[in-house]
Order: sequence, then structure tokens, then C-alpha cells
Amino acid sequence: MTSKPQLPQGFLTGVRIIDFSWKTVGPWATRMLTPYGAEVIHVEPPHRPDDHRFEFRPVYGDAAKNQIAFRDAPDSPAYYTTPNFSHLHAGKLAINLNTRHPEGKELMEQLVKVSDGLSENFSGGVLDSWGLGWDRLKELNPKLVYLSLSGYGHKGEWGSYRSYGPSAQASSGLTFSSGLPDKNPAGWGYSYMDVTGGWCGGLGMMMGLLRMKRTGEGVYVDYAVTEAAMAMLGPFFLDYQVNNRPTRRPGFPPGNRSIWPEVAPHNTYRCAGIDRQGQDWFVFIACETQEQWESLVEVMGKPELLGDPRFITMQARRENQDVLDDIISTWTAPRRRYEIMTVLQQAGIIAVPIQNAEDRVEYDEQLRHREMYPVIAHPEVGEFEMERYPPRLSRTPADNTGRAPILKEHEEYVFGELLGIDSVGMSRLREGGVI
Amino acid sequence: MQVFEGFTVVELADRRNQFIGKLMAESGARVIQIEPVEGAPGRWIGPFADDQPDPNKCLDYWWYNTGKESAAIDYTRKPGADFVREIALKADVFIESTRPGTLAQYGLDYATLSAANPALIYLSFTDFGQDGPWVDFEMNDYAHLALGGPMGSSGYSDPHETPIGGQRNHAYNMSSVMATHTITGALFERLSSGLGQYIDVAIHDVVGISTEAAVPYWLWYNQAALRQTGQHAAVKYRPTTQILCSDGKLVQVTMPQLPLNGWVQLVKWMEEVGVAGELSDEKWRDDFYRADRLRNGDEIHEGIIRLLSKVTSEEAFHRGQALGMAWAVIRAAEENMNLDHYKQRDYWQPIEQPEIGKTILYPRALLTNDELGTRPTRRAPHLGEHTAPILKNDLGVEDAVIEAMTKTGVVR
Repeated sequence: MTSKPQLPQGFLTGVRIIDFSWKTVGPWATRMLTPYGAEVIHVEPPHRPDDHRFEFRPVYGDAAKNQIAFRDAPDSPAYYTTPNFSHLHAGKLAINLNTRHPEGKELMEQLVKVSDGLSENFSGGVLDSWGLGWDRLKELNPKLVYLSLSGYGHKGEWGSYRSYGPSAQASSGLTFSSGLPDKNPAGWGYSYMDVTGGWCGGLGMMMGLLRMKRTGEGVYVDYAVTEAAMAMLGPFFLDYQVNNRPTRRPGFPPGNRSIWPEVAPHNTYRCAGIDRQGQDWFVFIACETQEQWESLVEVMGKPELLGDPRFITMQARRENQDVLDDIISTWTAPRRRYEIMTVLQQAGIIAVPIQNAEDRVEYDEQLRHREMYPVIAHPEVGEFEMERYPPRLSRTPADNTGRAPILKEHEEYVFGELLGIDSVGMSRLREGGVI
Repeated sequence: MQVFEGFTVVELADRRNQFIGKLMAESGARVIQIEPVEGAPGRWIGPFADDQPDPNKCLDYWWYNTGKESAAIDYTRKPGADFVREIALKADVFIESTRPGTLAQYGLDYATLSAANPALIYLSFTDFGQDGPWVDFEMNDYAHLALGGPMGSSGYSDPHETPIGGQRNHAYNMSSVMATHTITGALFERLSSGLGQYIDVAIHDVVGISTEAAVPYWLWYNQAALRQTGQHAAVKYRPTTQILCSDGKLVQVTMPQLPLNGWVQLVKWMEEVGVAGELSDEKWRDDFYRADRLRNGDEIHEGIIRLLSKVTSEEAFHRGQALGMAWAVIRAAEENMNLDHYKQRDYWQPIEQPEIGKTILYPRALLTNDELGTRPTRRAPHLGEHTAPILKNDLGVEDAVIEAMTKTGVVR
């Protein structure tokens, strides 16, 4: 009987990826392949399972001691599957492998020979230290697509530097350009550059696979997350060079106002109620056209504003944003946020509540209509809802039934069936700490 | 061979979709942007060179349209729609962002185009997809950051302060990355089947799953989070991770989850500048004691604040990195342009801009890899710059016809 897992049929069926990813940026890059049927083998060291299996339990000093202690504690859950791990590794296979052991390295080399891609987000130099740098990988498999994801890329004087989402955001200018004027940057309240940064890496892998299919050649993509992050801010670099206008200037960033296009109102406004954490509710409102402004005035029941010279043109409204925002805030303050959205959208005005996770799951009619939270079955934790992989393809749809693997779940398939190691050999490898 | 070499992409100009065409153009695709005769919406965003509004001098447009060709054709008028349809029938990828149902009347919908060109990959890249109760909502990029979750997680450690969205087109950008990934996959598939297909990407769907653990934690634990200045939203307020250095700049820090050797080096650094205090005590060398205090105390955090107040941001960055800590200077975007690291990686690419009589540097988007391509090489097109050559060379339209259509405003 085969131990081969049942993977969805898709256009990546038959494509095998070795996945040395951990944290968030690396896992996202390869998680984008599993909805299309790719066989993504997530490799974890035997002495230190992926820390996302442990709810961000901190790893100090001897990591093994902490994590194994947690895993083996009497009150610990029996499973090693958490929301984050489930989300980031949906549809993948899992094995343990000690790549620093000579026999582990040998197994790794065998895997490389039968794979199409390899992805990792270690600091620069880790694969080289295993003796598995790009030169060796290419020698083993000239068709291999190798994606390394790191904060600064492996090439260059910062090639060994460490990074995670918030530091990539800080370094690139993303953090600096998000906030209120004259305050510390607000930055991003999650790892924008681990999620979207992971998608950018995933694009690199998919591009590499397409090129490999067209040319038969492998490629090494030395992807730097900070570079993708800067690309998210492209026009700032042009404005700096063409108009000598840096972003480090008084009044920048302008909160939620818009510098370009030059429109007003364009801001968040406090409305009635607070969330379950005690934070005020806000709506975002923008009028990008004269018609939208006139409609807003009508809905607010303030026709006198139409003739007010402070607001008569877009330019005038921009110059008087402080008082304009006060007027709109006074109108929104006693009103409920979804009610504001409904009445203003009916009038053709850009108006939406600032939704948190609860809102998007419980109250977002559109996401519900789009069935964005399919139910996933897991043998250890039962059924749970998970975020859907968004793109809809008519002929080769993305699969949304894949679940994250249990620890070592696919050892039998990978080492036994794929690499041809018999049960005696597997026992010996286990005893030797190789797997 | 650049990855998209030999493929032709047609995009109906829209602020939302223009990053997709850019990503493909920079990796070898021929990308034809079909613009309204008055210019793509993206040409009027600003900033403009010398702050003078001009459709050929919009820097936002320059950025998002490198390497493309511009065909200014009004497809809402005859024979504009026929021209665009003929161009699309020769293309590999068609990208549009109109309201659902708009294009059928012009014969530019998927059913019509795919009947004549079954290999066509057709992407609808819209706010909410093709259906649903909010499909006709008016939106912009910030509205997506608000409705989709990024702003709900981002802001300040003050429950009464506004949530914050990042400046520039982040919702469009992130959704474009996923859309380009999908198109690349569909091209991969087409190499085997020879067939195209229809792709529906909704920006709200994509932004809605972009906020890392926020939704999974609600789905599993009904856990709601507080926005915090410069760091992840969390159940409780946490100490700041933006630390002021002696040169007045901020450094983004992570708390040092260090093995013993790294900890010893960190304390030595604190001792050098005279701020170690009680952290020099032997008891801090115990992994478990240190781990416990990091979670339940503020001694280490306070020590880091004291340390960084005595050193410059660059020293904090480099020496912190030497200790294995992922610290980073909070830089303004333009401050990256002088860093040797990115120059060594050939990140900045020169592009001549005749509109201002000089060459300027563009970042690569999003990857630095010459084998795939991923290199901007040509400036964005001027309005209608390639209309006549495309009509003439690709469709065989005669000069007299082009001239007549230009006079009636169907093309420009």
C-alpha cells in the first residue's frame, strides 16, 4: 500500500518543493503552491520542531529544552498544530531531518535530485555551512529552482544580517511612511513584510518554475525582503530625485489624509461605540470627485457648505482640511459605523468602517458571500475555519481543503517510498538522530 | 531568457491593475496598456515633475508603467472596441478592472474573447470580484486598507487614537503581487494544456487575508487585539520597540532572545557605555531566569533603552546584528539610496527620462534577479506613444484610417 499522500490535482501536480521555511515569510512563499497541487515537503530539524507549532513559545538558549518541555508537559495539548501553523503550512507534507548530520546531508542531496524547487528563509550562509550552497545544489540538479528569502539578500555586505517583518518594514521606509505627523511612526500592526513579503518570494518561485518549464534551466533567486518593501514605495524615490522632496520632511506622513491624489476629505472619523478591547470605532470617508462632495453635503444635511468658500473647490477643501474633518467628525460621532457605510455608499461616496478580524469574520457580508472561511478537517483538532486562498481560476481552481501536517506525518512516504529506505534503514536513521 | 519573454499582455488602464503589467513588463513581457484618449487615470495622481500637472510627467505613473507601450483607444466607441478586441485576440494575457458586466457590450468580455482565442488568460482584478452584496461599492486604496484589516491592526497604543494606513497604494500592490503569481501559474499550466482561463481576483479578498495571525486567532480563540505604536497588535499593551538613539533616530528592536554567549556580549556592550546596571549580575546568565524576566519584567527592556540612548542608530544596527539581533534603523525611504549594500546588489536601475532631461534611479520590483529579468529598462510611455505603430504594425490599419480616427477622437 502506498504511503503517498492524497494531494489535490492541479497544474502543479508532480512539482515537488523542499521547504526549509520557518516563521512567516518563508512558509507563505511555498504555501501559495499547495492549492495548485504541488508536493511541498516541510523539513523540520528533529531536535527543534517548527516554533509555530508551539504558539510563539519563546526560544531561549537551549531551544530544544524549552520546546520539548512544552510539548511533553502534562497539561500541554496533544497536538502540535496552532492557528498560525495551520494557516501557513496548509496542504504541505512534514518530515524531520538533521541536515547537519553526514547521513542527513546525504538524504538531503537525494531529495534535491528528485525535486523541482527548494525554498529557505535562513540567514545568509546557512545552506553553505551544510555544504549545500547554490553551486552544489546546481550540480545535484541543474533544473532546480532555489529561492532564498532573507531580509537583505545573501549577496552584499549585509548578506548575513537578520531580519523579520517589522525590521524589514523599518529599514525600507514602510514604517516611516505610516503614521500621524509629529508622532512616532505607527508602522504596521502586523508583519506586512512577512505576509506580502512572502507573497513576493512566492512569485519569485513561481516565476522560476515557469522559466524552468520553458527553458529546462534552474535558477537561484536571492530574494531580499527589504528590496520588495522598497518597491512598495516606488514613487517616493522618484519624487526625491526629480523634485528634491524627501519623505523625511515636516508634516509627513500625513496620517490617513491623501497627498496624491490631491483630494479631501480623505480621512478616518470617530463614530459611535467601541470594540471589545475598548478602542473607538472609526470609519474611513473620501470624496475624490465634486459629485461625491456634493452628495456628502446632502447626506449630512448641510447644504450651506456647498456655497462656503472654504470648501467650494477641491483645492479649497484641501487647504481647510482641519475644519472640514471637524465638521465630518461631528456628523459621524453619534452614528453607527455600518449605518454610515450604508447611507454614504448608497449616495456613491467612498465610506467603509475600519474592520478588525472579528468584523471580517462575523459581519462582513461580502467575505461571507465569497465563502472566505472554508471549514478544514484535521485529525487531531477536528474541524475549524480557515482563511481561503483568494484567487478564483475557472479551469484549474485553487484547492482549499488542504490542512497542515502533523509532526513527521510523511516520513514513511518521503524516506521510504521516495528515497527507497527500508524499515530497518529507517530505524537506524531514527536511532542515529538523523530523522 | 527573461521569464515572460515572448508573451503579450494587454491591460485596460486602471489605477488598481497597473502594478501587474509593470511586474510582467520588467520580466520580458510586451505589455500594451489601452488608455482612454484623455489618459489613464494613473496619469493624474501626482506628484508631477516640478509639480506641474502633465499626463506625461506624473511620477506615480512613471513608477507603475515602466516598460509598457501605450495605445490610447476609446473602446466605448466604434471602431475602438474592434481595435482593442483584435489586439486582445493576439495576446496571451488580458487584464481588466471594470465593474462586472461592463465589457460584454464592447465584445471584450471573457466569453467573447476566449471563444476566438482559447489560449487567452483573462484576469478580472476588481475591488470585490464579480459578485456579492458590496460589489458596487465605491472604493480606493485606503478604503481597502480600512475594510480589509490592515488599519484595524495598525496605529497607536491609545484606544482613542485613529487606526492608521500606510501611504501609497499598498492594497493594490499586495493584491497585484498575488494576481501576478496567479497569472504566472496559469501560464505554467498553459504550456501543457494550450488553454487559457478566466481568473477572478478581488482586492478585498486578498487584503482580507493579509493581516498575519489576526483572523486565524479570531477563528480559533475569538481573540481581539489592541493596536500598538510601531509593533504588532496584541491582547495587551507591550513596551515600545521603537527606541531613540543618541543621533535622534529610532531603531526598531526585538527583545534579545539570546543564547548565553550573545547575552554576555550584549551586557559587555552595556558595560562599555556604562549602563549595564544590575544586568551584570550572574543570575542573568541563567537561560530560564532571563526568559522569565523577559516575559514578566522590564529590566532587559529598560537596559536596551539605556544602551541605545548612548549609541548612534547605525552603531545600534550593526552591532546589534553582530549579536544576532534583527534590529533595524527606522529609515525614510530615500535614505536607502546611499547604502552600499543595495548598490552591491545592483538594486537601483538607471532610466533616462527625456521629459526632465536626466537619468534617474528606479528600484527593482520586486526581485533582484537577472535570469528571471526583473529589471526596469524603459521609461513609462507617453500618452498614446504607441497607438499608431500598434494599429499599423500589429493590426495592419492604414495610415489614413488612423488619421481619421485620431480626428474623431477615437484614438490618440
